[in-house]
Amino acid sequence: MKPLETRLARLARRGDQRAFAEIVDLYKDKLYHLAYRMTGNRQEAEDVVQEAFLRVYKNLDRYDENQKFSTWIYRITTNLCIDRLRKRKAIYSLDAESSDHEGLDGYAMLPSDDRTPESELILSETQRLIHEAIAALPAKYKSVMILRYLQDLSLQEISDVMDMPVTTVKTRVHRGREFLRKKLEHKL
Amino acid sequence: MADMKCNVAVVFMHDYLDGDLAREDSMQLKRHLTQCSACYARYESLERTDALVKAISIEKAPDDLGDRIMKSLPSSRRPAAWTSWVRRHPAVSAAAIFMVVMLSSFVSMWNQSRELSVSGPDLEHVVIEGNKVIVPEGQKVTGDLTVMNGDVQVLGDLDGDLTVIDGSVVPLASTAHIAGEIKTIDRAVDWFWYKVSSYFGTLAYGS
Repeated sequence: MKPLETRLARLARRGDQRAFAEIVDLYKDKLYHLAYRMTGNRQEAEDVVQEAFLRVYKNLDRYDENQKFSTWIYRITTNLCIDRLRKRKAIYSLDAESSDHEGLDGYAMLPSDDRTPESELILSETQRLIHEAIAALPAKYKSVMILRYLQDLSLQEISDVMDMPVTTVKTRVHRGREFLRKKLEHKL
Repeated sequence: MADMKCNVAVVFMHDYLDGDLAREDSMQLKRHLTQCSACYARYESLERTDALVKAISIEKAPDDLGDRIMKSLPSSRRPAAWTSWVRRHPAVSAAAIFMVVMLSSFVSMWNQSRELSVSGPDLEHVVIEGNKVIVPEGQKVTGDLTVMNGDVQVLGDLDGDLTVIDGSVVPLASTAHIAGEIKTIDRAVDWFWYKVSSYFGTLAYGS
């Protein structure tokens, strides 16, 4: 028997709105978390999630059931985030490819929104530092690290989502981890 | 075995934290860490980083986001499913459309002639009563007889084929005699087939 999401996708493809609502329910928090950490902005995260579900809905016919549904939905969302970061880069022209490895490109310098919902009132200093360190990650490590740590995906799954070889994913996880270590080492 | 270089050890640390280091290599790394305090400190630092990042609080989507998403969807998926089927099977779709056009034109042609019509080389000996065509007893009709949109009753002789389109043949009387065959055609498809076969018959026999 196919996994739950695949069966829901099949029902939704036949026009079952309730099945699609269940898919939204299963994934909205995961995608929001992913998009928020990628963009560092709540409004953008909401837009990305909404757009991602719309794309999933419109392209249900193209979903290949041999692929994990999560891989497919993460790929759509990650691509939308990367697109947004790229556009932002173009707008602010903060491009600094040479310092890519140090993570000193434009994204790091963008302010994150300062809205603080109630859940974050008691955000500890530790949490804040970790958030900042993740936000400072260069884009190409950021997506891999978020998928690895925040979504708990395996290296193979990340390779499927990002459409890149596992060895590349590994290298990025290693570099991303080193980056975070350097950021956090002296502060904690 | 020669002792491990520190740069190799760092790669192994990452692989180990990824759960991607073979058992033998893990043992080798472990040996190195007991001997090299710098690498041990590095490993601890990486492990702590991992734990901290994993422990980050989950950011939940706003409560109404799900509803907003459902409301933003286009109302129905059905047309999309249909058009994508057409996209995937262009040849079948074209053939289907062709068939529909052909069939509807045939049906409309067939529906145009609802009136009784009788054709044949010898209609003098045929009696028509309302919607009924009768070959009276004692009469002999030579040649084929084709009746459209009417019933046929044969009491006399018919020296040829009898074709009834969209009508019925009243059970033959004992006095009746039909030399050829009797064909009854009820539906548009049969009529179409009859047209085609008679067309080819014409070609074959050149009548």
